[in-house]
Amino acid sequence: MTLSTRIFARRPDFGAIIGVALLFVVFSLIDFSGWWSGRTLGNILQFTAILGCIAIGQAIVIMVKEIDLSVGSVYGLTGIAYITLEADLGIPGAMLAAMTIAGSIGFLQAMAVIKGKIPSMIVTLGGLFAARGLIYVWTGGSVRTMPADSRAHWLNQLFGGELFGIDAAILWLALLIVLLSLVVWRTKFGNRLLATGGDENTALSQGIRTDRVKTVAFVLCSLLAGFAAILTLADDPRTHVTLGDLMELEAIAAAVIGGCLLTGGRGSLLGAVLGAFIITSVRYQMISLGAPASWYITFVGLVVIAALIFNQFLARWATKQA
Amino acid sequence: MSVAAIKKSPLIEVRNLNLHFGAFHALKNVSVSFEAGQLIGLVGDNGAGKTTLIKVLSGIHKPNSGEVYFDGEKVREFHPKLAIKFGIETLQQSVGLCDNLSIARNFYLGREPIKRWFGIPFLDFKKMREASTKVIRTFGLRDNVSADDLVEMLSGGERQSIKIGRAVEFKNRVVIMDEPTNHLSVREREHVNELAQQMRDQGLLVIYITHDIHQVHKLADRIVIMENGEKVTDVAKHEMTADELEEVIRCGGRVVEKASEVAPS
Repeated sequence: MTLSTRIFARRPDFGAIIGVALLFVVFSLIDFSGWWSGRTLGNILQFTAILGCIAIGQAIVIMVKEIDLSVGSVYGLTGIAYITLEADLGIPGAMLAAMTIAGSIGFLQAMAVIKGKIPSMIVTLGGLFAARGLIYVWTGGSVRTMPADSRAHWLNQLFGGELFGIDAAILWLALLIVLLSLVVWRTKFGNRLLATGGDENTALSQGIRTDRVKTVAFVLCSLLAGFAAILTLADDPRTHVTLGDLMELEAIAAAVIGGCLLTGGRGSLLGAVLGAFIITSVRYQMISLGAPASWYITFVGLVVIAALIFNQFLARWATKQA
Repeated sequence: MSVAAIKKSPLIEVRNLNLHFGAFHALKNVSVSFEAGQLIGLVGDNGAGKTTLIKVLSGIHKPNSGEVYFDGEKVREFHPKLAIKFGIETLQQSVGLCDNLSIARNFYLGREPIKRWFGIPFLDFKKMREASTKVIRTFGLRDNVSADDLVEMLSGGERQSIKIGRAVEFKNRVVIMDEPTNHLSVREREHVNELAQQMRDQGLLVIYITHDIHQVHKLADRIVIMENGEKVTDVAKHEMTADELEEVIRCGGRVVEKASEVAPS
Protein backbone atom coordinates (compact mmCIF):
# COMPACT_ATOMS: atom_id res chain seq x y z
CA MET A 1 0.00 0.00 0.00
CA THR A 2 1.34 3.44 -0.87
CA LEU A 3 1.92 6.15 1.69
CA SER A 4 -0.97 8.32 0.56
CA THR A 5 -3.49 5.46 0.76
CA ARG A 6 -2.24 4.63 4.21
CA ILE A 7 -2.69 8.22 5.40
CA PHE A 8 -6.12 8.28 3.78
CA ALA A 9 -7.12 5.04 5.53
CA ARG A 10 -6.19 6.56 8.89
CA ARG A 11 -8.61 9.43 8.48
CA PRO A 12 -11.27 9.34 11.20
CA ASP A 13 -13.98 9.67 8.54
CA PHE A 14 -12.64 6.84 6.38
CA GLY A 15 -15.37 4.47 7.58
CA ALA A 16 -18.11 6.99 6.76
CA ILE A 17 -16.69 7.55 3.26
CA ILE A 18 -16.78 3.79 2.61
CA GLY A 19 -20.23 3.62 4.18
CA VAL A 20 -21.61 6.27 1.84
CA ALA A 21 -20.05 4.54 -1.17
CA LEU A 22 -21.60 1.24 -0.06
CA LEU A 23 -25.03 2.85 0.36
CA PHE A 24 -24.88 4.21 -3.17
CA VAL A 25 -24.06 0.75 -4.52
CA VAL A 26 -26.69 -1.06 -2.45
CA PHE A 27 -29.50 1.43 -3.13
CA SER A 28 -28.62 1.52 -6.83
CA LEU A 29 -28.90 -2.27 -6.95
CA ILE A 30 -32.18 -2.48 -5.03
CA ASP A 31 -33.98 0.52 -6.45
CA PHE A 32 -32.01 2.09 -9.27
CA SER A 33 -34.61 4.40 -10.80
CA GLY A 34 -36.02 5.48 -7.44
CA TRP A 35 -32.64 6.23 -5.89
CA TRP A 36 -31.21 8.20 -8.78
CA SER A 37 -34.34 10.26 -9.44
CA GLY A 38 -33.70 13.94 -8.78
CA ARG A 39 -36.50 14.12 -6.26
CA THR A 40 -35.20 11.34 -4.03
CA LEU A 41 -31.58 12.48 -3.90
CA GLY A 42 -32.66 16.12 -3.70
CA ASN A 43 -34.85 15.44 -0.68
CA ILE A 44 -32.22 13.31 1.00
CA LEU A 45 -29.60 16.01 0.49
CA GLN A 46 -31.94 18.66 1.84
CA PHE A 47 -32.53 16.63 5.03
CA THR A 48 -28.83 15.79 5.20
CA ALA A 49 -27.97 19.48 5.07
CA ILE A 50 -30.19 20.20 8.08
CA LEU A 51 -29.12 17.23 10.17
CA GLY A 52 -25.52 17.70 8.99
CA CYS A 53 -25.49 21.27 10.24
CA ILE A 54 -26.48 20.09 13.72
CA ALA A 55 -24.06 17.16 13.50
CA ILE A 56 -21.12 19.49 12.73
CA GLY A 57 -21.84 21.41 15.93
CA GLN A 58 -22.17 18.17 17.85
CA ALA A 59 -18.87 16.95 16.39
CA ILE A 60 -17.10 20.11 17.60
CA VAL A 61 -18.48 19.63 21.12
CA ILE A 62 -17.53 15.94 21.09
CA MET A 63 -14.01 16.93 19.97
CA VAL A 64 -13.58 18.92 23.21
CA LYS A 65 -14.73 15.81 25.08
CA GLU A 66 -18.15 17.10 26.01
CA ILE A 67 -21.62 16.30 24.70
CA ASP A 68 -24.66 18.43 23.88
CA LEU A 69 -28.00 16.67 24.30
CA SER A 70 -29.97 19.89 23.93
CA VAL A 71 -29.49 20.48 20.18
CA GLY A 72 -32.85 18.96 19.20
CA SER A 73 -34.75 21.25 21.56
CA VAL A 74 -32.58 24.25 20.67
CA TYR A 75 -33.36 23.53 17.01
CA GLY A 76 -37.08 23.43 17.85
CA LEU A 77 -37.05 26.55 20.02
CA THR A 78 -35.06 28.59 17.49
CA GLY A 79 -37.44 27.54 14.73
CA ILE A 80 -40.52 28.46 16.77
CA ALA A 81 -38.90 31.77 17.73
CA TYR A 82 -38.17 32.58 14.08
CA ILE A 83 -41.73 31.96 12.97
CA THR A 84 -43.43 33.52 15.99
CA LEU A 85 -41.28 36.65 16.24
CA GLU A 86 -41.49 37.26 12.48
CA ALA A 87 -44.96 38.80 12.93
CA ASP A 88 -43.54 41.59 15.13
CA LEU A 89 -39.89 41.93 14.16
CA GLY A 90 -39.96 41.11 10.45
CA ILE A 91 -37.61 38.57 8.84
CA PRO A 92 -34.21 40.12 9.70
CA GLY A 93 -35.19 40.94 13.28
CA ALA A 94 -36.72 37.51 13.90
CA MET A 95 -33.68 35.76 12.46
CA LEU A 96 -31.33 37.75 14.65
CA ALA A 97 -33.49 37.24 17.74
CA ALA A 98 -33.84 33.50 17.10
CA MET A 99 -30.09 33.06 16.65
CA THR A 100 -29.46 35.11 19.79
CA ILE A 101 -31.73 32.76 21.72
CA ALA A 102 -29.80 29.76 20.37
CA GLY A 103 -26.41 31.30 21.18
CA SER A 104 -27.50 32.29 24.69
CA ILE A 105 -28.64 28.76 25.48
CA GLY A 106 -25.23 27.49 24.40
CA PHE A 107 -23.50 30.11 26.52
CA LEU A 108 -25.60 29.37 29.61
CA GLN A 109 -24.95 25.65 29.28
CA ALA A 110 -21.22 26.27 28.87
CA MET A 111 -21.20 28.38 32.04
CA ALA A 112 -23.01 25.65 33.97
CA VAL A 113 -20.48 23.07 32.74
CA ILE A 114 -17.39 25.23 33.37
CA LYS A 115 -18.24 27.36 36.40
CA GLY A 116 -20.64 24.86 37.97
CA LYS A 117 -18.37 21.89 37.20
CA ILE A 118 -21.38 19.78 36.26
CA PRO A 119 -20.94 17.10 33.56
CA SER A 120 -22.17 18.37 30.20
CA MET A 121 -24.39 15.32 29.80
CA ILE A 122 -26.44 16.43 32.82
CA VAL A 123 -26.41 20.15 31.97
CA THR A 124 -27.54 19.63 28.40
CA LEU A 125 -30.10 17.01 29.44
CA GLY A 126 -31.55 19.80 31.56
CA GLY A 127 -31.28 22.09 28.53
CA LEU A 128 -33.15 19.53 26.42
CA PHE A 129 -36.13 19.49 28.80
CA ALA A 130 -36.05 23.20 29.58
CA ALA A 131 -36.01 24.32 25.94
CA ARG A 132 -38.70 21.78 24.99
CA GLY A 133 -40.81 23.01 27.90
CA LEU A 134 -40.43 26.59 26.68
CA ILE A 135 -41.74 25.50 23.29
CA TYR A 136 -44.90 24.07 24.87
CA VAL A 137 -45.44 27.17 27.00
CA TRP A 138 -44.80 29.58 24.15
CA THR A 139 -46.90 27.91 21.47
CA GLY A 140 -49.64 26.43 23.65
CA GLY A 141 -49.28 23.34 21.50
CA SER A 142 -50.50 25.01 18.32
CA VAL A 143 -49.07 24.78 14.81
CA ARG A 144 -47.77 28.03 13.41
CA THR A 145 -46.80 29.20 9.95
CA MET A 146 -45.56 32.25 8.10
CA PRO A 147 -47.49 34.41 5.60
CA ALA A 148 -46.55 34.03 1.92
CA ASP A 149 -45.17 37.56 1.46
CA SER A 150 -42.78 37.05 4.37
CA ARG A 151 -41.60 33.83 2.77
CA ALA A 152 -40.73 35.78 -0.35
CA HIS A 153 -38.47 38.17 1.62
CA TRP A 154 -34.96 38.10 0.12
CA LEU A 155 -33.32 37.13 3.43
CA ASN A 156 -35.70 34.22 3.91
CA GLN A 157 -35.03 33.15 0.31
CA LEU A 158 -31.29 33.34 0.95
CA PHE A 159 -31.65 30.43 3.38
CA GLY A 160 -34.73 28.65 2.10
CA GLY A 161 -34.67 29.24 -1.64
CA GLU A 162 -32.71 27.66 -4.45
CA LEU A 163 -29.62 28.65 -6.40
CA PHE A 164 -28.94 27.07 -9.81
CA GLY A 165 -31.63 24.52 -8.90
CA ILE A 166 -29.81 23.48 -5.72
CA ASP A 167 -31.45 23.97 -2.33
CA ALA A 168 -29.85 26.85 -0.43
CA ALA A 169 -29.48 24.60 2.63
CA ILE A 170 -27.12 22.31 0.72
CA LEU A 171 -24.94 25.23 -0.39
CA TRP A 172 -24.84 26.65 3.13
CA LEU A 173 -23.82 23.28 4.51
CA ALA A 174 -21.02 22.98 1.94
CA LEU A 175 -19.78 26.42 2.94
CA LEU A 176 -19.93 25.50 6.64
CA ILE A 177 -17.98 22.25 6.15
CA VAL A 178 -15.17 24.07 4.33
CA LEU A 179 -15.08 27.03 6.70
CA LEU A 180 -15.27 25.14 9.98
CA SER A 181 -12.89 22.38 8.82
CA LEU A 182 -10.35 25.12 8.07
CA VAL A 183 -10.93 26.57 11.53
CA VAL A 184 -10.50 23.20 13.25
CA TRP A 185 -7.49 21.91 11.29
CA ARG A 186 -5.65 25.00 10.15
CA THR A 187 -5.94 27.66 12.85
CA LYS A 188 -4.54 28.40 16.27
CA PHE A 189 -7.99 28.02 17.80
CA GLY A 190 -8.41 24.62 16.14
CA ASN A 191 -5.10 23.37 17.49
CA ARG A 192 -6.19 24.42 20.98
CA LEU A 193 -9.61 22.87 20.52
CA LEU A 194 -8.07 19.51 19.59
CA ALA A 195 -5.62 19.76 22.49
CA THR A 196 -8.38 20.60 24.98
CA GLY A 197 -10.34 17.54 23.90
CA GLY A 198 -7.32 15.25 23.64
CA ASP A 199 -5.70 16.05 26.99
CA GLU A 200 -7.15 18.91 28.99
CA ASN A 201 -4.40 18.95 31.64
CA THR A 202 -1.73 19.26 28.99
CA ALA A 203 -3.64 22.03 27.26
CA LEU A 204 -3.91 23.86 30.59
CA SER A 205 -0.22 23.38 31.36
CA GLN A 206 0.66 24.97 28.03
CA GLY A 207 -1.32 28.04 28.98
CA ILE A 208 -4.44 27.34 26.94
CA ARG A 209 -7.63 28.79 28.39
CA THR A 210 -9.59 25.57 28.04
CA ASP A 211 -12.67 27.15 29.62
CA ARG A 212 -12.85 29.65 26.76
CA VAL A 213 -12.28 26.97 24.14
CA LYS A 214 -15.14 24.90 25.57
CA THR A 215 -17.43 27.92 25.79
CA VAL A 216 -16.84 28.66 22.11
CA ALA A 217 -17.56 25.02 21.26
CA PHE A 218 -20.89 25.01 23.13
CA VAL A 219 -22.01 28.35 21.69
CA LEU A 220 -21.02 27.27 18.19
CA CYS A 221 -22.96 24.02 18.60
CA SER A 222 -26.14 25.81 19.70
CA LEU A 223 -25.76 28.40 16.93
CA LEU A 224 -25.42 25.64 14.34
CA ALA A 225 -28.54 23.91 15.71
CA GLY A 226 -30.36 27.25 15.51
CA PHE A 227 -29.05 27.83 11.99
CA ALA A 228 -30.34 24.40 10.96
CA ALA A 229 -33.78 25.46 12.20
CA ILE A 230 -33.63 28.65 10.10
CA LEU A 231 -32.64 26.57 7.06
CA THR A 232 -35.60 24.24 7.71
CA LEU A 233 -38.25 26.87 8.29
CA ALA A 234 -37.11 29.29 5.61
CA ASP A 235 -37.84 26.48 3.17
CA ASP A 236 -41.01 25.11 4.75
CA PRO A 237 -42.37 27.43 7.47
CA ARG A 238 -44.51 25.07 9.49
CA THR A 239 -43.79 24.48 13.13
CA HIS A 240 -45.07 22.01 15.63
CA VAL A 241 -44.24 21.42 19.29
CA THR A 242 -42.36 18.26 18.35
CA LEU A 243 -40.03 20.13 15.97
CA GLY A 244 -36.56 18.66 16.45
CA ASP A 245 -37.66 15.78 18.69
CA LEU A 246 -34.91 13.11 18.89
CA MET A 247 -32.74 15.21 16.59
CA GLU A 248 -30.03 15.34 19.30
CA LEU A 249 -29.66 11.58 19.15
CA GLU A 250 -29.54 11.59 15.36
CA ALA A 251 -26.86 14.30 15.47
CA ILE A 252 -24.75 12.37 17.97
CA ALA A 253 -25.24 9.21 15.90
CA ALA A 254 -24.14 11.08 12.76
CA ALA A 255 -21.01 12.44 14.48
CA VAL A 256 -20.12 9.01 15.84
CA ILE A 257 -20.70 7.29 12.50
CA GLY A 258 -18.49 9.99 11.01
CA GLY A 259 -15.57 8.99 13.21
CA CYS A 260 -15.82 11.31 16.24
CA LEU A 261 -14.50 9.57 19.33
CA LEU A 262 -16.39 10.28 22.54
CA THR A 263 -12.99 10.28 24.27
CA GLY A 264 -12.34 13.63 22.58
CA GLY A 265 -9.66 15.17 20.41
CA ARG A 266 -10.41 13.17 17.30
CA GLY A 267 -13.09 13.47 14.68
CA SER A 268 -14.12 14.92 11.37
CA LEU A 269 -16.71 17.49 10.38
CA LEU A 270 -17.03 16.01 6.89
CA GLY A 271 -17.49 12.63 8.59
CA ALA A 272 -20.33 14.00 10.72
CA VAL A 273 -22.08 15.22 7.56
CA LEU A 274 -21.52 11.88 5.83
CA GLY A 275 -22.96 10.23 8.94
CA ALA A 276 -26.00 12.48 8.62
CA PHE A 277 -26.29 11.41 4.98
CA ILE A 278 -26.17 7.72 5.95
CA ILE A 279 -28.91 8.14 8.57
CA THR A 280 -31.11 10.28 6.33
CA SER A 281 -30.81 8.11 3.24
CA VAL A 282 -31.47 4.90 5.15
CA ARG A 283 -34.60 6.43 6.63
CA TYR A 284 -35.80 7.79 3.30
CA GLN A 285 -35.15 4.57 1.39
CA MET A 286 -36.76 2.41 4.06
CA ILE A 287 -39.93 4.44 3.84
CA SER A 288 -39.96 4.59 0.07
CA LEU A 289 -39.34 0.83 -0.15
CA GLY A 290 -42.41 0.27 2.00
CA ALA A 291 -40.94 -0.57 5.41
CA PRO A 292 -43.10 0.69 8.30
CA ALA A 293 -41.89 4.17 9.29
CA SER A 294 -41.79 3.17 12.95
CA TRP A 295 -38.94 0.78 12.26
CA TYR A 296 -36.68 3.63 11.42
CA ILE A 297 -35.44 4.35 14.96
CA THR A 298 -34.51 0.73 15.55
CA PHE A 299 -32.67 0.79 12.29
CA VAL A 300 -30.71 3.94 13.18
CA GLY A 301 -29.62 2.22 16.38
CA LEU A 302 -28.36 -0.79 14.44
CA VAL A 303 -26.59 1.44 11.91
CA VAL A 304 -24.74 3.28 14.72
CA ILE A 305 -23.54 0.07 16.33
CA ALA A 306 -22.55 -1.45 12.98
CA ALA A 307 -20.72 1.77 12.03
CA LEU A 308 -18.75 1.81 15.27
CA ILE A 309 -17.65 -1.80 14.83
CA PHE A 310 -16.77 -1.04 11.22
CA ASN A 311 -14.77 2.09 12.18
CA GLN A 312 -12.78 0.18 14.80
CA PHE A 313 -12.11 -2.63 12.38
CA LEU A 314 -10.88 -0.12 9.78
CA ALA A 315 -8.68 1.72 12.30
CA ARG A 316 -7.03 -1.53 13.35
CA TRP A 317 -6.55 -2.53 9.75
CA ALA A 318 -4.98 0.85 8.88
CA THR A 319 -2.46 0.67 11.75
CA LYS A 320 -1.53 -2.89 10.86
CA GLN A 321 -0.68 -1.76 7.34
CA ALA A 322 1.70 0.93 8.65
CA MET B 1 28.48 34.29 35.42
CA SER B 2 29.33 37.64 36.99
CA VAL B 3 28.94 38.38 40.68
CA ALA B 4 26.53 41.22 39.96
CA ALA B 5 24.09 38.86 38.25
CA ILE B 6 24.03 36.55 41.25
CA LYS B 7 23.54 39.41 43.70
CA LYS B 8 20.41 40.90 42.14
CA SER B 9 16.93 39.95 43.33
CA PRO B 10 16.19 36.24 43.07
CA LEU B 11 14.41 35.01 39.95
CA ILE B 12 11.75 33.27 42.01
CA GLU B 13 11.01 34.01 45.62
CA VAL B 14 8.36 32.35 47.76
CA ARG B 15 7.44 33.73 51.18
CA ASN B 16 5.38 31.97 53.88
CA LEU B 17 3.37 29.92 51.45
CA ASN B 18 0.41 27.95 52.81
CA LEU B 19 -1.91 25.74 50.83
CA HIS B 20 -4.79 23.57 52.06
CA PHE B 21 -6.70 20.94 50.13
CA GLY B 22 -9.75 20.75 52.36
CA ALA B 23 -8.45 19.53 55.71
CA PHE B 24 -5.09 18.52 54.26
CA HIS B 25 -2.33 21.06 54.87
CA ALA B 26 -0.20 20.52 51.74
CA LEU B 27 2.26 23.41 52.12
CA LYS B 28 3.20 24.67 55.57
CA ASN B 29 4.74 28.13 55.69
CA VAL B 30 7.23 27.45 52.91
CA SER B 31 9.79 30.16 52.11
CA VAL B 32 12.48 29.64 49.51
CA SER B 33 14.22 31.59 46.77
CA PHE B 34 15.85 30.48 43.54
CA GLU B 35 18.43 32.30 41.42
CA ALA B 36 19.15 32.15 37.71
CA GLY B 37 21.97 29.91 36.52
CA GLN B 38 21.43 27.34 39.26
CA LEU B 39 20.37 23.73 39.19
CA ILE B 40 18.27 23.07 42.26
CA GLY B 41 17.55 19.54 43.43
CA LEU B 42 14.12 19.48 45.09
CA VAL B 43 13.96 16.23 47.01
CA GLY B 44 11.51 14.51 49.32
CA ASP B 45 9.30 11.47 49.75
CA ASN B 46 5.88 11.02 48.21
CA GLY B 47 3.47 13.59 49.58
CA ALA B 48 6.26 15.85 50.80
CA GLY B 49 4.80 18.79 48.87
CA LYS B 50 7.40 19.07 46.08
CA THR B 51 4.90 18.77 43.27
CA THR B 52 2.40 20.99 45.08
CA LEU B 53 5.05 23.71 45.43
CA ILE B 54 5.93 23.66 41.74
CA LYS B 55 2.25 23.62 40.81
CA VAL B 56 1.94 26.93 42.63
CA LEU B 57 4.94 28.27 40.72
CA SER B 58 3.51 27.14 37.40
CA GLY B 59 0.15 28.72 38.20
CA ILE B 60 -1.95 25.58 38.56
CA HIS B 61 -2.66 25.95 42.30
CA LYS B 62 -3.46 29.21 44.07
CA PRO B 63 -1.98 29.40 47.57
CA ASN B 64 -4.23 30.16 50.57
CA SER B 65 -1.70 32.59 51.99
CA GLY B 66 1.84 33.81 51.36
CA GLU B 67 3.47 35.55 48.42
CA VAL B 68 5.23 34.55 45.25
CA TYR B 69 7.61 36.95 43.49
CA PHE B 70 8.88 36.53 39.95
CA ASP B 71 11.99 38.66 39.40
CA GLY B 72 11.05 40.86 42.37
CA GLU B 73 7.51 41.39 41.19
CA LYS B 74 4.61 40.03 43.20
CA VAL B 75 2.36 37.49 41.47
CA ARG B 76 -1.27 38.59 41.76
CA GLU B 77 -3.11 36.05 39.60
CA PHE B 78 -2.28 32.37 39.35
CA HIS B 79 -2.79 30.87 35.91
CA PRO B 80 -0.47 28.67 33.81
CA LYS B 81 -0.68 31.27 31.06
CA LEU B 82 0.95 33.92 33.26
CA ALA B 83 3.68 31.56 34.46
CA ILE B 84 4.47 30.70 30.85
CA LYS B 85 4.53 34.37 29.97
CA PHE B 86 7.14 34.93 32.67
CA GLY B 87 9.18 32.10 31.15
CA ILE B 88 8.50 29.15 33.41
CA GLU B 89 8.31 25.85 31.58
CA THR B 90 7.17 22.89 33.64
CA LEU B 91 7.96 19.35 32.57
CA GLN B 92 5.49 17.16 34.40
CA GLN B 93 5.42 13.42 34.65
CA SER B 94 2.35 12.60 32.63
CA VAL B 95 1.39 15.99 31.25
CA GLY B 96 2.77 18.17 28.46
CA LEU B 97 2.04 16.38 25.21
CA CYS B 98 -1.31 15.54 23.63
CA ASP B 99 -1.37 12.00 22.27
CA ASN B 100 -3.90 12.88 19.62
CA LEU B 101 -1.78 15.59 18.00
CA SER B 102 1.33 15.46 15.85
CA ILE B 103 4.77 16.30 17.24
CA ALA B 104 4.79 19.56 15.28
CA ARG B 105 1.39 20.60 16.67
CA ASN B 106 2.44 19.69 20.22
CA PHE B 107 5.72 21.53 19.95
CA TYR B 108 4.02 24.89 19.50
CA LEU B 109 0.93 24.17 21.58
CA GLY B 110 -0.29 27.42 23.14
CA ARG B 111 2.13 29.63 21.12
CA GLU B 112 1.38 28.58 17.58
CA PRO B 113 3.16 30.48 14.79
CA ILE B 114 0.88 32.17 12.30
CA LYS B 115 1.06 32.77 8.58
CA ARG B 116 -1.46 35.08 6.96
CA TRP B 117 -3.31 34.11 3.78
CA PHE B 118 -5.38 37.00 2.50
CA GLY B 119 -5.21 38.46 5.99
CA ILE B 120 -6.62 35.31 7.64
CA PRO B 121 -4.30 33.84 10.28
CA PHE B 122 -3.55 30.17 9.58
CA LEU B 123 -1.09 27.87 11.35
CA ASP B 124 2.41 28.09 9.93
CA PHE B 125 2.95 24.34 9.45
CA LYS B 126 6.27 24.85 7.69
CA LYS B 127 7.79 26.58 10.70
CA MET B 128 6.20 24.09 13.11
CA ARG B 129 7.64 21.14 11.16
CA GLU B 130 11.12 22.67 10.82
CA ALA B 131 11.56 23.43 14.52
CA SER B 132 10.24 20.07 15.67
CA THR B 133 12.27 18.16 13.07
CA LYS B 134 15.39 19.90 14.37
CA VAL B 135 14.61 18.71 17.89
CA ILE B 136 13.82 15.19 16.68
CA ARG B 137 17.24 15.00 15.02
CA THR B 138 19.36 16.70 17.72
CA PHE B 139 17.76 14.67 20.48
CA GLY B 140 18.39 11.41 18.74
CA LEU B 141 14.85 10.10 18.30
CA ARG B 142 14.44 7.08 16.02
CA ASP B 143 15.26 7.88 12.40
CA ASN B 144 11.81 7.06 11.10
CA VAL B 145 10.03 9.50 13.43
CA SER B 146 8.71 12.53 11.57
CA ALA B 147 7.25 15.82 12.78
CA ASP B 148 3.85 14.74 11.46
CA ASP B 149 3.70 11.55 13.54
CA LEU B 150 1.28 11.46 16.43
CA VAL B 151 2.84 11.69 19.89
CA GLU B 152 1.10 8.43 20.89
CA MET B 153 3.70 6.59 18.79
CA LEU B 154 6.64 7.85 20.89
CA SER B 155 8.43 6.12 23.77
CA GLY B 156 8.74 7.69 27.24
CA GLY B 157 12.25 8.98 26.57
CA GLU B 158 11.29 10.43 23.24
CA ARG B 159 8.39 12.28 24.83
CA GLN B 160 10.71 13.67 27.52
CA SER B 161 13.17 14.76 24.83
CA ILE B 162 10.47 16.64 22.95
CA LYS B 163 9.40 18.42 26.12
CA ILE B 164 12.96 19.41 27.01
CA GLY B 165 13.64 20.46 23.43
CA ARG B 166 10.59 22.67 23.61
CA ALA B 167 11.80 24.26 26.88
CA VAL B 168 15.20 25.02 25.31
CA GLU B 169 13.75 26.26 22.03
CA PHE B 170 11.52 28.88 23.64
CA LYS B 171 14.42 30.38 25.60
CA ASN B 172 12.72 30.11 28.95
CA ARG B 173 14.15 31.50 32.15
CA VAL B 174 13.00 28.69 34.41
CA VAL B 175 12.64 25.00 33.66
CA ILE B 176 10.97 22.86 36.28
CA MET B 177 11.53 19.15 35.75
CA ASP B 178 9.19 16.92 37.77
CA GLU B 179 10.71 13.43 37.99
CA PRO B 180 12.10 13.77 34.46
CA THR B 181 13.85 10.40 34.39
CA ASN B 182 10.97 8.18 35.51
CA HIS B 183 10.31 5.28 33.13
CA LEU B 184 13.43 6.05 31.10
CA SER B 185 16.18 3.71 30.00
CA VAL B 186 19.69 4.23 31.42
CA ARG B 187 20.93 5.90 28.25
CA GLU B 188 17.89 8.18 28.03
CA ARG B 189 18.30 9.10 31.70
CA GLU B 190 21.91 10.20 31.20
CA HIS B 191 20.84 12.23 28.20
CA VAL B 192 18.10 14.03 30.15
CA ASN B 193 20.54 14.80 33.01
CA GLU B 194 23.08 16.20 30.55
CA LEU B 195 20.38 18.45 29.11
CA ALA B 196 19.46 19.72 32.57
CA GLN B 197 23.08 20.73 33.16
CA GLN B 198 23.36 22.32 29.72
CA MET B 199 20.32 24.48 30.43
CA ARG B 200 21.85 25.56 33.74
CA ASP B 201 25.10 26.44 31.94
CA GLN B 202 23.11 28.61 29.55
CA GLY B 203 21.97 30.66 32.54
CA LEU B 204 18.55 29.14 33.13
CA LEU B 205 17.16 28.28 36.53
CA VAL B 206 16.55 24.55 36.59
CA ILE B 207 14.47 23.01 39.37
CA TYR B 208 14.92 19.26 39.31
CA ILE B 209 12.45 17.23 41.35
CA THR B 210 13.24 13.65 42.23
CA HIS B 211 13.20 10.91 44.88
CA ASP B 212 16.74 9.94 44.06
CA ILE B 213 19.08 12.02 46.21
CA HIS B 214 22.21 10.29 44.87
CA GLN B 215 21.34 11.08 41.29
CA VAL B 216 20.50 14.72 41.87
CA HIS B 217 23.47 15.31 44.20
CA LYS B 218 25.76 14.71 41.22
CA LEU B 219 23.94 17.32 39.13
CA ALA B 220 22.72 20.03 41.44
CA ASP B 221 24.29 23.18 42.84
CA ARG B 222 21.89 23.30 45.73
CA ILE B 223 19.59 20.78 47.40
CA VAL B 224 16.24 21.61 48.99
CA ILE B 225 14.55 18.85 50.97
CA MET B 226 10.84 18.92 51.75
CA GLU B 227 8.97 16.78 54.20
CA ASN B 228 5.26 16.78 55.08
CA GLY B 229 4.69 20.09 53.33
CA GLU B 230 7.62 21.84 55.02
CA LYS B 231 11.06 22.83 53.83
CA VAL B 232 13.43 20.96 56.16
CA THR B 233 16.84 21.45 54.54
CA ASP B 234 18.29 23.97 52.08
CA VAL B 235 22.03 23.58 51.49
CA ALA B 236 24.65 24.14 48.82
CA LYS B 237 25.89 20.89 47.33
CA HIS B 238 29.35 21.01 48.98
CA GLU B 239 27.92 21.43 52.46
CA MET B 240 26.53 17.91 52.76
CA THR B 241 27.18 14.58 51.07
CA ALA B 242 24.46 12.55 49.39
CA ASP B 243 24.53 10.04 52.24
CA GLU B 244 24.05 12.73 54.86
CA LEU B 245 21.12 14.16 52.90
CA GLU B 246 19.56 10.73 52.57
CA GLU B 247 19.77 10.38 56.33
CA VAL B 248 17.91 13.69 56.69
CA ILE B 249 15.09 12.46 54.49
CA ARG B 250 14.87 9.18 56.36
CA CYS B 251 14.93 10.73 59.84
CA GLY B 252 12.84 13.76 58.95
CA GLY B 253 9.99 11.52 57.94
CA ARG B 254 10.35 9.27 60.99
CA VAL B 255 10.57 12.00 63.61
CA VAL B 256 7.39 13.68 62.43
CA GLU B 257 5.59 10.36 62.16
CA LYS B 258 6.47 9.42 65.75
CA ALA B 259 5.44 12.81 67.06
CA SER B 260 2.02 12.60 65.47
CA GLU B 261 1.56 9.04 66.73
CA VAL B 262 2.38 10.00 70.27
CA ALA B 263 0.35 13.19 70.38
CA PRO B 264 -3.23 11.74 70.45
CA SER B 265 -2.51 9.39 73.38
